[in-house]
Amino acid sequence: MMAGSDAASGLVTVAEAKARHWDVIVIGTGIGGGFAGRRLAELGLSVLFVEKGPVGHRSEGQFLSDELEDYIARQSRGFWPTKIETRIDGGRIDRFYGPLGSGVGGSSVFYAAAAERPERHDLESSDDLPHPSGGWPVGYDDFQPYYDHAARLLSVRGDADPLSKLAAPSLAPPPLTPAEAALFEDLRRAGLHPYRAHEALRRVPGCTDCLGRKCPHPCKMDGRSAGVEPALETGKAALLADCTVEELLEAGGRIAALRVRAEGQGHELRADIIVLAAGALHSPGLLLRSQGTHAAGCGNSSGWVGRGLMFHLNEMVAVWPRRGSPAVGATRSISFRDLYVQGGQRLGLVQSMGVGADSGRIAAHLKGIIARSALRRLPGIGKAATVVARAGAAVFGQATVFVGILEDLADPENRVRPHPDDPEVPQIDYRIPDELRVRRSLFRRSFRRRLGKHRMLFLTFSPTLNFGHPCGTLRFGRDPATSVLDPDCKAHDLDNLYVADASFMPSSMGVNPSLTIAANALRVADGIAGRLKRDTRLAG
Amino acid sequence: MIQEIVEIAVVTEASWGIGAALAMALARKGVVVAGLARELFLPEHDRILPVAVDVRDAADVTRAFDEIRTTVGTPTILINNSETYPDRDILDETPESFMDTVRTNLGGAFNCCHAVLPHMVAAGRGRIINVVTFADVRPMPLAAGYAVSKGALRILTRALVADLGDRFPEIVVNDWVPGTHQPRKGIPDGVDPRIAAEWGARLALIRSPEINGLVFLRDQEHRPPRTLKGRVKDRFLGQRRAQVRLG
Repeated sequence: MMAGSDAASGLVTVAEAKARHWDVIVIGTGIGGGFAGRRLAELGLSVLFVEKGPVGHRSEGQFLSDELEDYIARQSRGFWPTKIETRIDGGRIDRFYGPLGSGVGGSSVFYAAAAERPERHDLESSDDLPHPSGGWPVGYDDFQPYYDHAARLLSVRGDADPLSKLAAPSLAPPPLTPAEAALFEDLRRAGLHPYRAHEALRRVPGCTDCLGRKCPHPCKMDGRSAGVEPALETGKAALLADCTVEELLEAGGRIAALRVRAEGQGHELRADIIVLAAGALHSPGLLLRSQGTHAAGCGNSSGWVGRGLMFHLNEMVAVWPRRGSPAVGATRSISFRDLYVQGGQRLGLVQSMGVGADSGRIAAHLKGIIARSALRRLPGIGKAATVVARAGAAVFGQATVFVGILEDLADPENRVRPHPDDPEVPQIDYRIPDELRVRRSLFRRSFRRRLGKHRMLFLTFSPTLNFGHPCGTLRFGRDPATSVLDPDCKAHDLDNLYVADASFMPSSMGVNPSLTIAANALRVADGIAGRLKRDTRLAG
Repeated sequence: MIQEIVEIAVVTEASWGIGAALAMALARKGVVVAGLARELFLPEHDRILPVAVDVRDAADVTRAFDEIRTTVGTPTILINNSETYPDRDILDETPESFMDTVRTNLGGAFNCCHAVLPHMVAAGRGRIINVVTFADVRPMPLAAGYAVSKGALRILTRALVADLGDRFPEIVVNDWVPGTHQPRKGIPDGVDPRIAAEWGARLALIRSPEINGLVFLRDQEHRPPRTLKGRVKDRFLGQRRAQVRLG
């Protein structure tokens, strides 16, 4: 029943992978690895994707679960098999299942298809808004063509945002339901500027909005459907699944080989170029574990590997419809950027979440809050939460949940390392910076002011990190002393190691990261292809 | 764009009793039916294809399903109805006789699941109904092999849901107790198989993932009894759900 080695489908065994010479090996098949590999293959290079998780079945439709406990069951579903470990603000150590995938498409097969474009000030300093990092080493105008290209490959649809004046996606969004239209009007009357969220869904017949779950159709565009699958179709790329990269073997300033584990045994794989795209929690871990040449880890002369870890802070708010308006409930179709920058402060995008605030949802959320608070010891408190939520739902009807994405800024003390006892467990040490708390209060005040406090309820009470948006742990920059990667996302220290996942970002932006990861992966791939062409010309 | 899906059902032990009635009821609803039986039989409808197979024999089951796929197409519905009820005192059971009952009642069902599942997984949809009894709840005398194997079949249903339910929500698996009591003697209230088969055929054609794993008794969903307190609590917490009916 399991998919095996099959030349036509592009799947290879570890023996076949070892027997061939590859131009590029891509480690990880999420949106970064998928897009880099696709572009490289389309440019005619031979590409091997190495994926820790399984190929899975194309008809799967599971939601990412943080309850399923069994390692093998998690792995076979494409979930990251282990828990992650966090220590927030120096407090107690928590272990839980993060929203991380491990399988073809990585975490992206479980994402909610948000493909929002950042604004110029997310990457660059402007007169009234200096960039916290001084600006990315590659400016907005240089990214622009890659954003356009990534948006095309992701089939992004949506409307122009009236505030940012960014161009509208080339594909129109599906028509609004009357209830959604009423909510749009409602937000406009509140003085906001809603627009149709930019989503990477092809909306094929039978589309069921696969938000948070694997999409069984060629519909949701992610690292698998818009990356690995089209890459394999070129005939230039191959996929080695169920293969864990354990160490990068460095020699003479380059990665000479990958030490991998597949079919229960150790092997070595080789390529001219290595593209690391295991995700911002795991890519630095692999470098830190690769200590054959340097005790501090591979590519880590700056000491920044794993540091500068950022998440977004999620600010969730339930908004009830105006009296007499129809209830919308769950919808993913609305974004607005009215709170993106307030009082010279970087805040972020607000978007509807695709989940309704029905009583079960609110109850689950209240219970989650209680479970993390001192109230958890009160007997019967969980049931009380259910009753409160049910009463709330009966009074207010169905609310729509919005989430504000509050930008997080880099701090070298916020970091991720592989757990010393279990390298599959990323160990996260994170302090919420004071300035972030200040911007969070401003964000919440802005919400209250703009939405009207009578029709909204904050669903987040303490700062809530979005563990699905990790980034920044292999930051790119011009100075090898303060960054891991150069502007091409090649490691400063190594001649043939590139990074194509969210690790490269020196700031987290006020939008979802997917489109930027995809755009940057295309840019990295073009850089690699250009370089290999030059090398070949010189050699010839 | 939306294609009409032609349902192709496999019913085991389709030569007589509730199996024959199920095959007939499905054929009347336009379903193509492969009727499995130990020996070839004369079908009562031209949409029923008789197939001889010993469900205890995995290789024979593989061969039979290959034959079904080449002649009528890939099955979308599997009804595991094959069973044996030997009426044997446990002191008279031998390891061989006991396991032979298990091989038919549990092994036969698993063999057929094993033959259809790869194709259901590839299609992302499918329907499996295990015909069961409550014989496992309070085994009667002379029913050791029967009660144990049929009870295990009910566990197989739950295990299928545990392994597949989240990944392939449109592969829907149920237990169904037809209430026909065909193999048993001396139980007066057995339902006419033709009537029960109508319910079973309707159940087989319900595709909703929401019924995945539910147990059906005759013409309706069977729920374990709830206490008064439990019922009040369900109502208060908004956890009440309408019972699914087939009649």
